Amino acid sequence: MIQVQTALRAAQKSAPASPLIVLQGVTKTYRQGSEEVKALQNVALDIGDGEFVAVTGKSGCGKSTLLHVIGGLESVSAGRILFQGRDLSRFSEEQLTRYRRDQVGIVFQSFNLMPLLTIVENVALPQILRGTPSQEALQLAESWLDRVNLRHRRDHKPHQVSGGEMQRAAVARALINRPALLLADEPTGNLDSTHASQVLQLFAELQRQEHLTVVMVTHALEAAQYADRVIKMQDGRLLP
Amino acid sequence: MKIWLLRLPFRHLKEHPGRSLLGILSIALGTAVYLSIALASHSALQSFRAGVNAVAGKTQLRLQSPGTSLDETLLPTVRQLPPVRAAAPVLETMVEIRGQENFSALLLGVDPFVEGPFREYRFLTATGLDQETFLKFLTQPGWVMLSAPLAARLKLAPGDTFTAAVGARLQTLAVAGTFRTAGDLYPLDGALMLMDLGQAQEILDRIGRLDYLDLLVHGDLATAARQLREALPPGVEVTTPGAQAEYMQGLVAAYRLNLAVLSAIALFVGMFLIYQSVTLSVVRRRREIGLLRTLGMTRGQVMLLFLSEGALSGALGGLLGLVLGGAMAQAALQMVAQNLTSLYQPVSAREIWLEGQVFVQAWLLALAATLAASYIPAREASRTRVRAVWYKEELEEKLEKWAASSAYLGLLVLALAGVGAFLKSGHGIPWPAFVAAFLILLGFALFTPLTAWWLGRLLAAPSRRLFGFAGDMGCRYLSGSLSRTAVSIAALATALGLVIAVVAMIGSFRQTVENWVQKSISGDIFFGPAVFSTSSYDQFLPPEVLRELAQDPRIADLYHYRCVRLPFRDRYILVIGGSFDVLARHGGLWFRQGDQEETVAQARAQDRVLVTEPFAEIFGVREGEWLTLPTPSGPQRLQVAGVFYDYRTDGAAVWMDIKLFQKFWQDQKINAVRLFLHNKGQRHEVLSHLQQTYQSRYRLVALSHEDLKNGILRIFDETFALTYALEGVAILVAVFGIITTFLVLIMERERELALLQALGASRGQIMGMVLVESGLASFLSYLLGALAGSVLALLLILVINKQAFGWTIQVCLSPDVYWQTLLLVLALGLAAGAYPAWRAMQPHVATILKEE
Repeated sequence: MIQVQTALRAAQKSAPASPLIVLQGVTKTYRQGSEEVKALQNVALDIGDGEFVAVTGKSGCGKSTLLHVIGGLESVSAGRILFQGRDLSRFSEEQLTRYRRDQVGIVFQSFNLMPLLTIVENVALPQILRGTPSQEALQLAESWLDRVNLRHRRDHKPHQVSGGEMQRAAVARALINRPALLLADEPTGNLDSTHASQVLQLFAELQRQEHLTVVMVTHALEAAQYADRVIKMQDGRLLP
Repeated sequence: MKIWLLRLPFRHLKEHPGRSLLGILSIALGTAVYLSIALASHSALQSFRAGVNAVAGKTQLRLQSPGTSLDETLLPTVRQLPPVRAAAPVLETMVEIRGQENFSALLLGVDPFVEGPFREYRFLTATGLDQETFLKFLTQPGWVMLSAPLAARLKLAPGDTFTAAVGARLQTLAVAGTFRTAGDLYPLDGALMLMDLGQAQEILDRIGRLDYLDLLVHGDLATAARQLREALPPGVEVTTPGAQAEYMQGLVAAYRLNLAVLSAIALFVGMFLIYQSVTLSVVRRRREIGLLRTLGMTRGQVMLLFLSEGALSGALGGLLGLVLGGAMAQAALQMVAQNLTSLYQPVSAREIWLEGQVFVQAWLLALAATLAASYIPAREASRTRVRAVWYKEELEEKLEKWAASSAYLGLLVLALAGVGAFLKSGHGIPWPAFVAAFLILLGFALFTPLTAWWLGRLLAAPSRRLFGFAGDMGCRYLSGSLSRTAVSIAALATALGLVIAVVAMIGSFRQTVENWVQKSISGDIFFGPAVFSTSSYDQFLPPEVLRELAQDPRIADLYHYRCVRLPFRDRYILVIGGSFDVLARHGGLWFRQGDQEETVAQARAQDRVLVTEPFAEIFGVREGEWLTLPTPSGPQRLQVAGVFYDYRTDGAAVWMDIKLFQKFWQDQKINAVRLFLHNKGQRHEVLSHLQQTYQSRYRLVALSHEDLKNGILRIFDETFALTYALEGVAILVAVFGIITTFLVLIMERERELALLQALGASRGQIMGMVLVESGLASFLSYLLGALAGSVLALLLILVINKQAFGWTIQVCLSPDVYWQTLLLVLALGLAAGAYPAWRAMQPHVATILKEE
């Protein structure tokens, strides 16, 4: 069933989208004591504009590292990552900051909401970081809360809401700046099946509405069914 | 509790040494300061006591006449009294050795034939004390025996000569021989010399007089003393040699207490840091506590677990402090000895007396301080619910709710402080006022959670307008992280409050003394032996000098000054004779009430006395009341004509006209004079004349009014140098607290800061956020500290000094200390936040955000 749905979606997108992200021979190496660990090995990958890609694989295969290098959270040891044709490795610190703020939205497994801020303030945060006046940012955040059905939780602190609600808030936060790219690192990893399903449906819906490019790392096969394409990784490499 | 469980705090300490290090270091520093001051005070007094005992030898009782000397005709009478086994007459004075270095030495005029049973002088016969030299010692003026240490210091051998100021005159003394005392104990670091009694009486112009008679008695001391009192004439006191040391101890009690309280400040500030450290430990280990309780640990055991963690820090810190304190004690000793010499009596102390009790006391104090600081968080830990899923945010919410209660408690504590400020302890140390001082600091510290929360909220909007996102978040963190910041803010506020209070008190005191000097120290030139010496009461102006001064046409008036110290009720006071007619003409006393000229004239005409304000406060005497003064002529009932402000160290004094004094004391000696010139423009000329005429022959000091004023203020400043040093240590401990608080805060917020970077916050925004928070925390510390310090300053000025010393000090709060402290605190606070923020922004965002 999952494979049929994936194949159907792939068929609908018959014309290949121009790649938003291009990875060329990307390698990421870490040093752990005296050992070298290659988290990514010579990865080559094109991600089309508006494409929903799921990345699967066992723990430690390099999935999250792949996400981090695409999101500009980490630099690569070798190779290039092109975003809209621009090489991320040549970005200055300021350019990287703007890239993360304006072009990328990230959703984490453990939600990572700011504990001191209310739900609506958490959602508004990327707008405020951009320099939007706070009133305007909060109004925009409220509209996003409506879209993720969290308006009734606007004034609660993160520790006062459920995991599913926190993740929905995190999704709203990730999208408030209308980024081109949404990165999700095990977004349903800490949720029960009901809430996980809700979050994934939200992903799919917003992806369609906002024409987002989504790269989602997941263990769950049920999550992968929402993707246009599933990529498998093993030992830092993409499996054919 | 099972001892095995104590390994838990050990393990935590071992695994996270950095977290506990600050608390341990602060306790170590506080203990070190306390110990070094305690050792220094103890050593100084012990040196003094040892010196007194060395001079006393085997003396059992001592006869003396306080405020005056004994008539030597008393000696044969005393020797015939039944209780007396032996009697040794002594004349004692301080001389000043002149040479490459000038220093004080103790000269004893003794009868060498009767000294044997009292003091064992081992004359170093190898150095040549032969019969001829001994005869010279007995019969010729200026021959002395030097103690071995003194001879070594001066590099003198028998037959050599040296110059010393003996009394007011410069004398050439010759060395007859050297000696050691039994046990090699000496006063004044070995500076002791002996002279034949008769020669001493002559050289000191004290023919027929003795300072005291040392006695050996038959049988029981108390019985012998009673019998002697019954047999001897009034005015002769029967005492013990140790009384001098006891007197010194009583004299410096207030000074030592002030020093002890100040030295404990750093420890007090360190307690805040221990409190914070244990609180953080409790927060971090909530899950562990829940697990332990699930496994069956009782609440009491949980509490003991965390108390033992605090105690461990205290024990380690205390031990480290003992080592540091021992090392610092020598430096402290120099300052303390200098203070005591300037203020009270010459004290020479070069070595630290290591008293085990002092070390144990300091260590126990450190332990007690940490246990007190750990009690509340440990109790909090014991109340953790078994199944608690504890978020730090819940703790913060709890603290926010508690903030208001804490502020109310602070108000109550301040009210108690107010009550304490009005209580009097009866006499001596103003304990209620000291407790009130502590309560003031505690009260303001209790305001910290509410004010931090409130300030963060109040300034969020304006900060947002000024600094954008950074300003907003900085304020939120200030009010939202009370569990971390409130205690550090309180610690710094306490330290600042103390600094401001003490600086304000010293500043006010100094201004008051300056005003007093201007108003009270009249006279163009001051002339006498060693004006600033604390031993100047037995130094007199030579009669021939007085005669010459009386004939100097440039001098319009000559004010005579004579001073003695004698026991009055349970203390010692000064009795001063002065030329009231000159005083009435030229002024020189600053009266509490009434006209100066009229009061002084009245006192002179009606044989009344004037008393200093400290005397009036300590003994509860007011204008117009009567007092009975012991004098050599018997007790005298005298009426108080006026009370005036006086800021001399031994401030309780009774003044009378010089004629009245001479009538009661039956001597014409004068300690010093004040010269009032016809033409003030001739001041320098007269000064030069005095110096040139008398400097070569006498040890006399001539000072202009300006020099005297500067000298008084110099001693004042030297006295408080140690206080400033102690304040500096307290500030250092508090600054450690702020720096480490922000280091810990940033480390704990690593994830949040990485998240902000991931969301697109720039480094500037993050740095700004941390700086706003640390800047506001520092500013709040300053605000609370300034308020607390100002209130505390008023307590110190208006209550503690008044009750302890009887002084009225005019409140003079200079703005300098406030703005200087503000700048310092802001700079330190910003620096304290900048480094941790910079560390947090090193590029490892993804590592931090990686899912566990």
